[in-house]
Amino acid sequence: MDTGNNDRERAPLFGKWGYWYALVIGFLLCCILVFDFLTKHFS
Amino acid sequence: MSRPDWIVLALTLSGIIAYGLYKGRATKDLDGYFLSNRTVPWYMVLLGIMGTQASAVTFLSAPGQAYTDGMRFVQYYFGLPLAMVVVCISFVPIFHRLKVYTAYEFLERRFDLKTRTLTSFLFLVQRGMSTGISIAAPSIILSSLLGWNLLWTTIFMGGLLIVYTVSGGAKAVAYTQQLQMIIIFSGLAIAGYVVVHKLPPGVGLSDILHIGGKAGKMNIITTGFGGNGGGFDGKHGGFDGKHGGFDWNDRYNLLSGIIGGFFLALSYFGTDQSQVGRYLTARSLRESRLGLLLNGLVKVPMQFGILLLGVMVFAFYHFNREPVFFNRSQLELLAHTKYKDSLAAVTSKYEALEKERLSLLAVGADSRLAVREDSKLTIQADVRLTEIGREKTDIRATIRRWLDDRTVGGDSNDTNYIFLRFVTDYLPSGLVGLLIAVIFLAAWGSIAATLNSLASCTIVDFHRRFAPGGLTVEKEYRLSQLYTLFWGIFCVAVAQLTYGLGNSLIEAVNVLGSLFYGVILGVFLVAFYRKRVGGHAVFISAVVTETGVIVLNMLSRKGIVSLSFLWFNVVGAVGVVVLSEVLQTVIGSKVDSRAGDPAIEGRSAQRSD
Repeated sequence: MDTGNNDRERAPLFGKWGYWYALVIGFLLCCILVFDFLTKHFS
Repeated sequence: MSRPDWIVLALTLSGIIAYGLYKGRATKDLDGYFLSNRTVPWYMVLLGIMGTQASAVTFLSAPGQAYTDGMRFVQYYFGLPLAMVVVCISFVPIFHRLKVYTAYEFLERRFDLKTRTLTSFLFLVQRGMSTGISIAAPSIILSSLLGWNLLWTTIFMGGLLIVYTVSGGAKAVAYTQQLQMIIIFSGLAIAGYVVVHKLPPGVGLSDILHIGGKAGKMNIITTGFGGNGGGFDGKHGGFDGKHGGFDWNDRYNLLSGIIGGFFLALSYFGTDQSQVGRYLTARSLRESRLGLLLNGLVKVPMQFGILLLGVMVFAFYHFNREPVFFNRSQLELLAHTKYKDSLAAVTSKYEALEKERLSLLAVGADSRLAVREDSKLTIQADVRLTEIGREKTDIRATIRRWLDDRTVGGDSNDTNYIFLRFVTDYLPSGLVGLLIAVIFLAAWGSIAATLNSLASCTIVDFHRRFAPGGLTVEKEYRLSQLYTLFWGIFCVAVAQLTYGLGNSLIEAVNVLGSLFYGVILGVFLVAFYRKRVGGHAVFISAVVTETGVIVLNMLSRKGIVSLSFLWFNVVGAVGVVVLSEVLQTVIGSKVDSRAGDPAIEGRSAQRSD
């Protein structure tokens, strides 16, 4: 078993990269929504 | 500056130098000098990445940018989080597996020597020049505002860090960056607290945002459709397209930030040695990745905070006398020209307007002035305030026009002076020294990492590869120190040469990266994802596309083509990928034998999550 290769493919903290994609896209969407609210509310 | 300011400044800077020398004292070979023996933990990788990206101009100009143009600059970083994930999956594991010193070493194993040499050369040219300008920009600002000698300011800005960078290499850079970032964030947080503290009683964050919003500074999200300020609602030019098409020349909007910013971040973090050199120092692949991924999550909020500081300063000047022009030295310059009398007249008129404005605001209700629906300002007062605002804008435009006059040869852009002018005018003694130290440390963190990476490329990609005869470990180490010293002197010399060329070069530092990054990224994308493409095709494509991007930039500057610089990254990367595919088909379908190298191909057995 190539544990070195498994380490290379394993994403930090969550194990799978799909979770990281979901996290950063969700994070970005949250930022955009909050910023858009601030833009509209304070303009 | 007062004596306490000088003491704080001197103690902070000398402390950093001493700390760098101490931490880097054990370094004696190339692995230690460029990779810190691969012992750095993830949080230091994170701070190193952030410290390398954020130069002095970042902290000087971002609040000024929010003050003048609003907060939409934050969109520039929207592509970064996603780019971090892609870099972690595609770029970092290969660099770690091959145990390279520079990113370009990988390209020789994947393609050939000429492709490696070309990309490394493009990096050296671009980084060497832009670092020189990065030293020049804050030096000009500090010397103008504080009346310091420009030569000495430049030497302090770009020269003192050479002491610990030459001596301790990557280890000294990593440890000093950690301390520098802590001091920088503390300094900015204190500055933010002082701004709020100096506002009239009862005025809070919500009022600050209302004041900023009323003046158009809260334009955080813009779509780029139908001019500035377009939100999602379509009222000001939204995605409905009814109010005008997409403005390709608009620098900061949602689309250019996500797409252009993604390509820029992918290129910068995946292929720029100044960044690659930071995360290669990590003690494991996991630690490199963790540093990069967390950078993706903290960068947008961090930039939001720095821009918010600019809006806070704007709100502060809503209640206090705002300077007619933030760069004092330019007003002094005008006072010795044919505009002397006219300047005195408009300055006097401006002062009267400010006095009237502040007295009108003082008549309003309990300092929560003209910003909320519950404001007790009369309609007449509100109308008069609008008129005053318009007159002030006209006066500033007049002063800018005079400065742009060829016989004057001044600098009409005072955006970078706004934050520091507030610091020097209103911060208490001691804190001014700390904030000036923050500017120096921000410059040092970025420049030190760059010098280390320029030296690593020079010795690994050029000296080792082309100079005849082998080198002992001791000689390689000494030579690396000499190259670091050479690049330090080179960048300071470039900074000196740029002074006569004016403010346009300060702006050029942003554009310069985008001219080269896209093409370098394109080469790496082909290396990772287009296995059938060989060295000849990618090399020719890179040369042709680079020429095309430079021509595009010239056409854009002349107004023939309307395209903002962020899009050059997309054009360069896509251009190399498409052209190399076509060329490979034309040249022949011979598969490059090195694409099958298991060390390079390592991701072939990747899962599909």
